[in-house]
Amino acid sequence: MAELTKKGVAGFLARQGILVAFVVFMIVFAIANPRFIDIDNIFGVIRSSAILGVMALGVTFVVIGGNLDLSVGSMMSFSTIVVLDLHDKIGPTLGIPVMFAMTMALGAFIGFLVGYLKLNSLIVTLGMLSAIHGLTLTYSGGKNMDIADKEGTWFGIFGQGSIAGVPVPIIMFALLAIVLSIILSRTPFGRKVYAVGGNGIAATFSGIPRARIVFMTYLMSSFCVATAGLIQASRSLGSQNTVGQGMELEVLAAVILGGASLLGGAGTIFKTVIGVLILGFIQNGLLLMGLAFYAQYVVTWIIIILAVWLDIAAKRGRLWSPIA
Amino acid sequence: MKISTKFALVCSTAMIGTAAFGEAHMDTYTIGITQNNVGVDSYQTTYEQAFIAAAEANDNVEVVVLDAGGDVARQIAQMEDLIQQEVDAIIIWPTNGEAVIPAVRKASQADIPVIVTNSNIAEQGFDFVASFSGPDNITQGSRSAEIMCDRFKELGIEDEAQIVQISGQPGYTTAIERAKGFEDRLPEVCPNVTLMETQPGDWNREKSQQVMEAFLVKYDDIDGVYAGDDNMGVGALNAAKAADRAEGITFVGATNFAVGYEAMAAGEYWGSIYQSPVDDAEAALQTAIDILNGEDVPFLNYFDTPKITQDNMDEFEKPVF
Repeated sequence: MAELTKKGVAGFLARQGILVAFVVFMIVFAIANPRFIDIDNIFGVIRSSAILGVMALGVTFVVIGGNLDLSVGSMMSFSTIVVLDLHDKIGPTLGIPVMFAMTMALGAFIGFLVGYLKLNSLIVTLGMLSAIHGLTLTYSGGKNMDIADKEGTWFGIFGQGSIAGVPVPIIMFALLAIVLSIILSRTPFGRKVYAVGGNGIAATFSGIPRARIVFMTYLMSSFCVATAGLIQASRSLGSQNTVGQGMELEVLAAVILGGASLLGGAGTIFKTVIGVLILGFIQNGLLLMGLAFYAQYVVTWIIIILAVWLDIAAKRGRLWSPIA
Repeated sequence: MKISTKFALVCSTAMIGTAAFGEAHMDTYTIGITQNNVGVDSYQTTYEQAFIAAAEANDNVEVVVLDAGGDVARQIAQMEDLIQQEVDAIIIWPTNGEAVIPAVRKASQADIPVIVTNSNIAEQGFDFVASFSGPDNITQGSRSAEIMCDRFKELGIEDEAQIVQISGQPGYTTAIERAKGFEDRLPEVCPNVTLMETQPGDWNREKSQQVMEAFLVKYDDIDGVYAGDDNMGVGALNAAKAADRAEGITFVGATNFAVGYEAMAAGEYWGSIYQSPVDDAEAALQTAIDILNGEDVPFLNYFDTPKITQDNMDEFEKPVF
């Protein structure tokens, strides 16, 4: 019986090492500054992380499918700028769906290049990173985009509103996480994403339409990006052209931190969410500790490495192994 | 890669054509400018438009306008292009204060005066620079401290006020100098005001909003926020509004943006430093012309950036960026 429990604990640790790491960090930060676990602060951090998180959900699909998406940062700037511009031109009711269509057209284009033309996703999305940035700058003429009438619009609800005390961005993040988690783990499509990412050739010979699956992952990623852009735009009702700049790497860090394999075929939505939360709470925790900000970059890196190590150690069942 | 090289060739050829044509007139100066990253923000976009407009208004000046797109390597190549074209003077908005020095030296060795605009290059390059034209960031920082202090005196809290600072991107000269100007001046004018903490907002409204959220959790009593520019200042204001704590906080920024101006008009944001990209561009062109005319130009040729607060904002036009 005792052994069975031990096995049970070990098995849990092996599966959820990253979750354990997350809890450890939360406790350390909470001891350093009790305000860290203040409910307002926790909501604040999750709300701030929601934008990164929503993008990471979509990229999880792309990564599990065996590809990369480095274009999400500039794509998010694009959707933010577009929806703010359309808000004043054609109104939010029409502007939001048009922005989603425009962003998803970009996603479809990337999906076509990577899925059907089988171009290397790193090259395609790295190129799209600057191409979309250029598109955004052309669209906006380089100017900041601001909603003219900030008081008289309902557009702020996506970023600033709350339902039953819970901020709307958190609700949107949670809903999207649940739906995408079900799609990934409970539907034939989800299984096919794993199959294509795990072994694309084998998947093709098994009759899985590899090109279409890859195409779909990019389409989903761009849908998530559009949602993130909507939250971003609504949160500040105005934006710079560079609002999403550099976020592609944070998104990728969160996805990888959550344990998705860069080689494809492995990862879950739940773990990506944990990865996102770790990044968000590290940032906030270090701020609350009042650490000098030059040191924060270094400490952030150390914590990420610690988390990855704890995750691997839990899988091995020991902290260090001479083999692997 | 090939296409872009060809394109660049065509461009340079076309420009050489323009330059040669320009030299046909007597007393006409050809001035080349390589900018940092036009289009990345409204300030730089407006700067370029104003620069071209100012050049067009002056019959004695032909300009070759280039943009490095934030890329150091491209800017160095553009410097070399301009040297090849034998322009009369080069204006550079450095993408990086250190990396462009060799290119600046090369121009100086070719007897082409170099005018640095907006943000200066590193000190070891000063020997190769004819003049720096731009805002005085240290003065801007100290003026922001004065605005903050004067406001606290009006409110009668100059002996107990506690403030936080949200600075620009770490490592960026403008950010460092504004913070220094502010931190040095504040204890001189308001010795009892406490600066509790400084964190960077990276010139980014969203990042600044997150930093302010953390400050609001950490400190129960915040009387003032100094932000390295209005974009970040408005981010901090948004965070305070969301937490219902904006009422008691004096927000002071720098580089007055349209959003900052609007927030001032709405009575939510106290003050800033008015820095016009039009003045910046015109000052750079004028500095270059003065140098070419053999006039005595100070090495650090600052243009004025006045204080703007809710009290005197009527005297200023709303910024276009």
